[in-house]
Amino acid sequence: MNEPQGRPAVQDDRRRRFELLALPHLDAAYNLARWLAGNSADAEDVLQDAYLRAFRYFDAFRGGSDIRVWLLSIVRNTFLSWVKENRSNRLVFIPDDRGADATEPAETMWGETPRDPEALMLQSADAGMLNRLVEDLPTEYREVLLLREVEEMSYRDISAVVGVPIGTVMSRLARSRAMLRHRWHTQSAKEASHGV
Amino acid sequence: MECDRASALLHPLIDGELGFLGRQRLLRHVARCGGCAGRLSELQALQTALRTKLQYHRAPPALAARIGAAIARESPSLAPARRRLFGRGSGVPAGFGLAGGLVGAAAGVALTLLVTGAPIRPESDMVSAVLDSHVRSLLPNHLTDVVTSDRHTVKPWLSSRVDVSPPVRDLAEEGFPLVGGRVDYVDGHQVGVVVYRHDRHIINLLAWSSPGKADEGLKTQSRQGFNLITWRKGGVTFWAVSDLEIGELRKFALAIAAAG
Ligand SMILES: [Zn+2]
Repeated sequence: MNEPQGRPAVQDDRRRRFELLALPHLDAAYNLARWLAGNSADAEDVLQDAYLRAFRYFDAFRGGSDIRVWLLSIVRNTFLSWVKENRSNRLVFIPDDRGADATEPAETMWGETPRDPEALMLQSADAGMLNRLVEDLPTEYREVLLLREVEEMSYRDISAVVGVPIGTVMSRLARSRAMLRHRWHTQSAKEASHGV
Repeated sequence: MECDRASALLHPLIDGELGFLGRQRLLRHVARCGGCAGRLSELQALQTALRTKLQYHRAPPALAARIGAAIARESPSLAPARRRLFGRGSGVPAGFGLAGGLVGAAAGVALTLLVTGAPIRPESDMVSAVLDSHVRSLLPNHLTDVVTSDRHTVKPWLSSRVDVSPPVRDLAEEGFPLVGGRVDYVDGHQVGVVVYRHDRHIINLLAWSSPGKADEGLKTQSRQGFNLITWRKGGVTFWAVSDLEIGELRKFALAIAAAG
């Protein structure tokens, strides 16, 4: 067999290594893109663009580090530049951090007296409603929540994907949970009063 | 500890981000404080609801092909003559200009993944072969031939097809539920594979006979973002491969090895 020489072989090797590493995370990457973009057509465009970028910068990826973290951060950044180009009239990221590391006391958001039966109600929460409430969260809260609860990432990995300090990850998570809880109660009460 | 501080720490607690001492101190407070105990149970309920009810959007099968094609356009490729699918994807012509449909879509990705021929790296060895089997299994529709969590189905199915079947165990309680089984090709031989998972991580367990070879304990290695553990027992070589974190994969291997 004639061994092809030079550049094409090297290229194929590089491509093969990239696909070995990156394709197993296609679902995770797509899931993040889909939750960020809000619909599948945009998510697919973002993901294709993100994978192309990742392939171009593959040489910068250091072996031994977590490729999922690296890929998801590219997906996220690709989404942000895509938003700039395509949805410039819509503000997606609301700056909330008031200084690099403002850890808001969670108590102010989680301050109402907890009601134990409500914990039980949350457990039987309607899946459709829960998904809609998460969709409605501001992007920077939605993304940390997804990376934590769906991808089960550590604070350190989330901070690497999102590019904010760990303390900010923690305060965003606390706020997103508080918002969700609050909106869930409001929504449930509304539906109950409508006799649903 | 006062409640303000405790409430703020409930989040890192349910996220597994508190150290042992911090956890002990917080739990001591929670045990004595009804308010914080209530907040904790509500947070845990919310977390469970999110983890079980948030939709997981899987990539459409055609997207992998679309991305594969886009990447191929970025990098000049080998002559088509060297492309060869092996394993079960035969009968698909080479090249990315495939007809649409699922077979074409999966093959578009499979092509570059499965290009063989002369080994690209001289150190290409059993590790690469096992790794390839694992990566192939992650392609759409390649994971299992028989999908069941019932070991009484997987075991006879595999036994009728290969000489040596990897252990088929009920490890659901240990956190490693059974997914199914398949027959794969590793280094040119038919090999039985039993598939387990841990959360969303797929674990492939391979085994083949190595008659006359001495027993060997667990050996661990990492390659290209995946972890592999191999051992030999009673003339059978075992491989466990996954993108699972190495400590967890080791737990799995120990559970399998202990069960014999
Ligand atoms: Zn308290």
